[in-house]
Amino acid sequence: MKEFKVIKIYFTNALQQSLASPIVFWMFFVSKLLRYGLFLFFIYLMTVQIKSLGGYTPTQMLVFYLCFNVVDTIGQMLFREVYRFRPLIISGGFDMVLVKPLSPLVRVLLGGPDFIDLGILFVILTILIASLFSLGPSLGMVVGFLILIVNSLLISAAFHILVLTLGVLTTSVDHLIMVYRDMTSLVRVPVDFYTQPLRFLITFIIPLGVMYTFPAKALMGLLSVQTMAISFIAGIIVLIASVKIWNSSLKHYQSASS
Amino acid sequence: MRKYLTVFQLSFQNEFTYRLNFILWRVRNVLRILMTYFLWNMVYTQNSMAFGFSKEQMMTYVFMVLIFMSFVVAAPSIENIGNEISNGDLSNFLVKPINYLKYWLVRDWASKLLNTIFVFFEVGLLWFVFKPQLVLPPNIAFGFISILVLILAALIYYLFTKLAVFTAFWAPENTWGMMFLILVLLEVLSGAIFPLDVLPSRMFNILQFTPFPYLVYFPVAIWIGKLDLMFAIRVLIQSLVWVGILYILVIKLWHRGLKEYSAAGR
Repeated sequence: MKEFKVIKIYFTNALQQSLASPIVFWMFFVSKLLRYGLFLFFIYLMTVQIKSLGGYTPTQMLVFYLCFNVVDTIGQMLFREVYRFRPLIISGGFDMVLVKPLSPLVRVLLGGPDFIDLGILFVILTILIASLFSLGPSLGMVVGFLILIVNSLLISAAFHILVLTLGVLTTSVDHLIMVYRDMTSLVRVPVDFYTQPLRFLITFIIPLGVMYTFPAKALMGLLSVQTMAISFIAGIIVLIASVKIWNSSLKHYQSASS
Repeated sequence: MRKYLTVFQLSFQNEFTYRLNFILWRVRNVLRILMTYFLWNMVYTQNSMAFGFSKEQMMTYVFMVLIFMSFVVAAPSIENIGNEISNGDLSNFLVKPINYLKYWLVRDWASKLLNTIFVFFEVGLLWFVFKPQLVLPPNIAFGFISILVLILAALIYYLFTKLAVFTAFWAPENTWGMMFLILVLLEVLSGAIFPLDVLPSRMFNILQFTPFPYLVYFPVAIWIGKLDLMFAIRVLIQSLVWVGILYILVIKLWHRGLKEYSAAGR
């Protein structure tokens, strides 16, 4: 319960910070909108001219990309503090986090959400809902989609915790988190586009396909209930494992420069 | 000249300081190409031509983008100049007998050299794994013009990004926001992800009045023979014009910025 109170304070502070610099807020907001909008535009132009890309219609391709962005944006919004972890580690400032009567993981994972992404999320969700009118998913498909989005966020949290863990062990976070971002950008298109063994690797070993492609497939009715259930169990296992690895990595923290 | 050569050598060595970061940087470079490679691969499973490109031309486009991007966008100046202006470190350079803009240009080129050397290994590895059929320039003139346009692209990139980072003289808190905007536009409008032929012709024509297609699309399109020789020469001249315009703007902004500079943080 104490953690929730502190997280609420983190979120309030972050929101106040965002509102204190409106120019910066709008610059990033517009830039991110442009990034998503232009990519969406290109994908749309491509699929309209190619007609059917990998057996998917233009609308389905849009839904894949929008679902990718829903998961990606929520992950970036919640776990933004991970991007600021390196200075804390190399300066020894992490000591101050460890001595506080609060889980250090909560502080370094959820301590600085990015509310620019919240604005982006509203825009993406609006377009996603609009594009769903032509797909017409059933209630079951929508429920499946929502469950898999939650599952994606559990796996996203696990990935971010692993980046933090490697940060404690190696002090290199900047490129690691960007490697994660580059890996996730592979699945801006459906995972089916990749040939084996890469497809297997990014679906099951590094479960990017489960995170980004499966929610969209659930929305289109292309995923069985069994696959959804296995994905959800896998998500929980990955999260628990990442927390255990994080806890053991703390024993190796050397408090450099402090 | 010798002092810049020393800066070049030191910068080159400096890139190896954080080895894990360096390795991860290379991994990122390889990851970037995979999505576009497989996307286009999927397109050509059902089509022999798409947007005026044969499969061989498109695969060459994807691979050449990786090589040319590595050369054009390797620029540590982007991350450092804004900070040096904001925290007053610029003062250290202003009192030294060195031209600050040339200093960072040289450091950028050291990074470009390193990046280019390694990208050939990475492209070799990817080629070995995927074995795509690639095309060579139609003749030596196309290859030569493509390389010239590529060198000008690196200069355009350097000058264009300086316009954004010089925001730090007036509004240090907005510098990264400006840079982010430029990088986003660059990512999509330079042709790094999709060849600009995907765009409707009117949009493509408008885009030619911006520096973006000169950074990646035109050098690669000339290399694979997508443009005729006269058009390629026109692109070369237009690139030169862009370098000239941006150079004048950067110098004017630099001098104005220096008048505004108060060494805050010192």
